[in-house]
Amino acid sequence: MYHLLDAEWLKLRKSKITFIMFVGPIVGMILGLTVSTDMFPDEINHWFSTLMVMNLTYALLFLPLITGVLASTICRYEHQAGGWKQLLALPVTRGKVFIAKYLLLIVLIFAMQVLYLGAVVTIGFIHQYTDPFPMEIVWKSILGGWVATFPLAALQLWMSLMFKSFAAPLAVNVIFTLPAILAVNSEKVGPYYPWAQPFSMMYIGGDTKDVFFIPWEQLITVVGGGFLLFFLCGYIYFQRKAV
Amino acid sequence: MIGKLIGIELMKIKRKGIWFLTVLGPIGVVALQIVNYSVRKDYLLQQSEDDWLFYLLNTSSITPFAIILGIVILTSFMASIENETNAWKQLVAMPVSKYSIYLSKYTVLLFLLLLSASLLTVFTFIYGLFLDLGEVVPYRELFMYSFYPLFAAFPVLGLQLWVSFVSTNQGIPVSIGVIGVILSYSAYVIPDWLIWKWPSLMNQWDEPLINVWLGLAVGFILYFIGMLDFHRRDVK
Repeated sequence: MYHLLDAEWLKLRKSKITFIMFVGPIVGMILGLTVSTDMFPDEINHWFSTLMVMNLTYALLFLPLITGVLASTICRYEHQAGGWKQLLALPVTRGKVFIAKYLLLIVLIFAMQVLYLGAVVTIGFIHQYTDPFPMEIVWKSILGGWVATFPLAALQLWMSLMFKSFAAPLAVNVIFTLPAILAVNSEKVGPYYPWAQPFSMMYIGGDTKDVFFIPWEQLITVVGGGFLLFFLCGYIYFQRKAV
Repeated sequence: MIGKLIGIELMKIKRKGIWFLTVLGPIGVVALQIVNYSVRKDYLLQQSEDDWLFYLLNTSSITPFAIILGIVILTSFMASIENETNAWKQLVAMPVSKYSIYLSKYTVLLFLLLLSASLLTVFTFIYGLFLDLGEVVPYRELFMYSFYPLFAAFPVLGLQLWVSFVSTNQGIPVSIGVIGVILSYSAYVIPDWLIWKWPSLMNQWDEPLINVWLGLAVGFILYFIGMLDFHRRDVK
């Protein structure tokens, strides 16, 4: 397993991944620079208000969409010139290859979340905030957003294994992500829609008593259930995929 | 010759889901309004004197965004058709100029996008009639909100087509596209000179036509730059 991950990392290093990784913080910076804290009353910690505005677009649209792009990127080199044949001819099981790809994908998303945090801090320095940095809340939001992408990453990995092109998985991604804009406004649908979860988990106005900003039941059923469903489907698909 | 090339391109996009997406785009935009209006119709009707115009404004808040997503997906699809099987070499080896290859692909994309905009007009109109928003249908605005955003999005089309045709790794154009989508979603706050703002038809003079003319002009320029660069590059 370790060697598989090592091999994945080696393949990834030369695939222009740095450019894609830095899209996260770039978008964060763009969103952050547009924030004006004048919109909020002075008593509110400026970091809070900035994060609230930034997370709105970042978690609602960007995070789900870029998860798909990253998933397609890590399958790209195998889709070209018979890479799957070579990889699967090695003494590794298909299950392990799938798990290695998935682990790599979520590590990449985590790295992007950390880079985004970096963008948040940079924005704070540019705007010269003097308020104390709400470390706990920020980490909750960053980690929560990451955990919420687990089911999305599993679905996108499945789609990326299925389609050679970037466009087809992206289309699937868009079809599911766009309704999230409406779903987050609805109290009935929002908690059950997997693509709305990154937003709910990063939205810092939520209940702060739990480990994350959404209740455990919701986390386990919607995020956990979605993850299990998509992961298993992808896993089974990959077992049967003709290379 | 260009006619034949377009015929070939149309043949290549068959059974790839491209037609499906072209139709799905406008359906999706109107479907979001169907959800919106079925959940809170009474509230929405109270918001304005002119129900038709308010309905069109609601619909057009999603349109720019959907157009940019559509452009990103379709251009990347067009490039993938050749990339996947290394078909660029075969295509370029034919006795046709690279300019006409670029033009034929651009034309097909333009045709698909115009079809999408026309369908959007029809679907918006039908659901508007169904909602029974009033006797006077603002046809001018109906067409305006369906086609203007597309014309204003020509620079994005030029850019995406260029980047996806010259990169072997489609991750790059798609990532640029995602940035564009985020920018167009934040159209309220970004400066006027960013091309991703234009499809929203917002500008400081409050005159949508400026965006359309700018879009057509800059779109044309970007198309030319892309075509020249495509011609200059080696086929990988």
